[in-house]
Amino acid sequence: MIDSVSGPIPTVGRNGATPEPGGGRAAPLLQVRGLAKHFGGVQALKGVDLDILAGEVHGLVGANGAGKSTLIRLLAGLYRPDAGSIVVDGEPVTIVDPAHASGIGLNFIHQELNLVPKFNAIENMTLGLPKASRLGLITWGPVRRQVDEVARRLGADFPLDIPVEHLSVANQWVISIGRALVRRARLIAMDEPTASLSAEEAGRLFQIIRELSSDGIAILYVSHRLDEIMDLCDRVTVFKDGVRVLHADRAAMTKGGLVRAIVGSDVAAASSAGAPDQGGPVVLETRHLGRGSVVREVSLQLHAGEVLGLAGLVGAGRSELARLIFGADRADTGTILLEGTPWRPAGPHDAFARGIGFIPEERRSQGLILQKDVSFNINLADLQPLRYAAPIPLISLSRAARRAERIAQQLGIKAPRVTTPVIELSGGNQQKVVIGKWLTRHPRVLILDEPSRGVDVGARAEIHRSIKELAAGGVGAIVISSEVEELPGLCDRVLVMVEGRVAGELTGREITKEAILQLSYAHGQGARTES
Amino acid sequence: MTNAQESVSVQGGRASGDRRRRAFAFVGRYGTLLGMVLMIAIFSVAAPDAFPTLSNGINILNQASLTAIIAGGLTVALIVGEMDLSIGYVASFSGVLVTGFMVDQGVPWPLAILAVLLIGASIGAVSGLVITKLRVNSVIATLGVGTVVVGINYAYAGGVPVASGVPKAFLDIALGRWVAGIPNNIIFMFVTLALLWVLINRTDLGQRIQAVGGNREAARLSGIRVDRIKILALVVTGIASAITGILLASLIGSGTTSAADGYLLMSFAGCFLGSATLRDGEFHIVGTFIGVLIVAIGFNGLAILGAPTFWQYVFQGAILILAVGLSTVARRFAKT
Repeated sequence: MIDSVSGPIPTVGRNGATPEPGGGRAAPLLQVRGLAKHFGGVQALKGVDLDILAGEVHGLVGANGAGKSTLIRLLAGLYRPDAGSIVVDGEPVTIVDPAHASGIGLNFIHQELNLVPKFNAIENMTLGLPKASRLGLITWGPVRRQVDEVARRLGADFPLDIPVEHLSVANQWVISIGRALVRRARLIAMDEPTASLSAEEAGRLFQIIRELSSDGIAILYVSHRLDEIMDLCDRVTVFKDGVRVLHADRAAMTKGGLVRAIVGSDVAAASSAGAPDQGGPVVLETRHLGRGSVVREVSLQLHAGEVLGLAGLVGAGRSELARLIFGADRADTGTILLEGTPWRPAGPHDAFARGIGFIPEERRSQGLILQKDVSFNINLADLQPLRYAAPIPLISLSRAARRAERIAQQLGIKAPRVTTPVIELSGGNQQKVVIGKWLTRHPRVLILDEPSRGVDVGARAEIHRSIKELAAGGVGAIVISSEVEELPGLCDRVLVMVEGRVAGELTGREITKEAILQLSYAHGQGARTES
Repeated sequence: MTNAQESVSVQGGRASGDRRRRAFAFVGRYGTLLGMVLMIAIFSVAAPDAFPTLSNGINILNQASLTAIIAGGLTVALIVGEMDLSIGYVASFSGVLVTGFMVDQGVPWPLAILAVLLIGASIGAVSGLVITKLRVNSVIATLGVGTVVVGINYAYAGGVPVASGVPKAFLDIALGRWVAGIPNNIIFMFVTLALLWVLINRTDLGQRIQAVGGNREAARLSGIRVDRIKILALVVTGIASAITGILLASLIGSGTTSAADGYLLMSFAGCFLGSATLRDGEFHIVGTFIGVLIVAIGFNGLAILGAPTFWQYVFQGAILILAVGLSTVARRFAKT
């Protein structure tokens, strides 16, 4: 095995065959020492340490890309570390795959849960386990007894014999925990468990977590929600850029301290004093717009010629807000005003007819007809002008090609020809084709959901340039991005969303990576109390 | 394993995979054409006096004509991403209706044809509504609608062929040779296919049909009313089915309850063969024409060679499986 890591690797525990007795009581259940992993040129983990004791609830927090998921995947045996050691019960282990991890008591519940939708709770909990059988047929009796015991322990009050797809997400979480218990888990790692749970359901989950912990099972609790961490965890570890930057126990935990550790510097709270001139008139306004618990009471104004950023953590409700404005979903409450006139979108075609463009997050599955060529895709949103004569629905392909060529040139789309299928283009060029599709419409409002996801740095710069040029031409642009680095250079104004609400607004020079993160994590209130 | 090794092996795999992919893409695009040429060559050698003649060529086109029209309509449904299993039943019903209208209700033949075309369009619209508004899978929806159509067919004619008293002018439509001695059905085939080709490739509606079939969600987010487009596509399919039914009634001089049911299988064979012709598993009108032609050449050649009837069924089943298989393989290897 060749170590291809060039960075400094802490030597702690590299040859550590002996357990570290530590300061007194039991040895940790899990000891991670100097764990490092890189992907391509990115060093995702730069030698981190982590101790987890039996029966503790251990919080793990950090911004997107801090290395939390990488650590979890290393522990689950999905990746192999470049360097460092994992010690379980004082024995160094090389975890080869998830089954192995489960065999030594480490279980993982990922955000997407990974249950088989058509299987019932019993089948899901015992999936992949050897089962007693007679004449090659599974005898469900012992299995059922085992599952019943786990279900009782978890207080499961739902039927165990219906397909889990008919159960709520909260109950699916219970089943996932049950799956870990059936495997005699000693550590259960949970990734964002409350992301799609209601407050009441989350409360029930916390109760289960506390009971498991008192039974001696350790919980590694990964979450963006600092209030939950403060409430639930005995100790917390903060990662930033692949390094452990904070390690605190309950007594030393403060929300401000956690935010500072996540963000990396002590930022003055954002003040919206002296709102600068926004330039153009308001093209789009929402008042108290809401849908269920994902978008709550969002009021915003978008000016012509402005690039407005929507920041926030995954699940903050940004894409959902965009879908309300574009009419892809219906709002339960509130109103949308388009150039001052109240408007209730009847669907995407309505928003489209009124000059609202939407560039979806998943460009391959939602933005493009992949097997069709560049010209087809660019012209799709506006076919009328391609007709030879307005009343006759015959379209001219040469007109289509000319328009596609003009737009391709304007956006710097690198394609051999406009008759090249878009499936053959790079991600950045595909994204430009999606943007180009809306240029034909001369939209008043353009919503871009993660416009530069998965494109290289050069293409990102060009996409940003295109967005700015559009704005300069009078378009009001809304840019949604989960990468906080993206917004500062691009936006005139940024709204930070937290749990469906607008938690804060940043303008001009206030827009920094740190300020966005601060608002994302501090729920707005944190920022106020600290200033 | 180190990353270096990984990337090398991945690249190696990609290079040979690429060659394989290109080979399959070639087979996918031109394999069916090669097959057609091969078939023609074999039949020409085996029956040099009967097969490779002008009159037999016209004969093949004539035999292919009604299938090509109904398959052209089916192609539109397939392009928009839906199946239509009702086409054969709709065509049979159209034949019964058009003759019934003329013989029993005394409707003049042009009016009878117009009425039946409208009814074909309506049946397509009903299928479209069931698919889009009730969200029933199109296989089930069109099977259901088709079966109801069979029921109405029996209710209308009682299962008895409408034969006597069909006006001569109506019979002349399919039997006549108005242009240069070419059987009219061949002309109708080329005209219908040309219209369908223009519809798909050179009209707003056609672009939208292709977009909806290519990526429903992307089309919807581009402001296209997906449901409406699907319904319109199935209306086109319904009209094409009605045309085939009317021409068949004119050709055989009667409206028979299940005369056109068999077109369903041949149409699917033609469409799927066509989707693997010149394109990578994409349905298109020119492909469908070639696909239907291949089926017709096979039938014709087997008949000339005096192959027993059961061979025709074996051929038809085999070609359907081959067509769908080729189409699927072509689509898989077209993906990067």
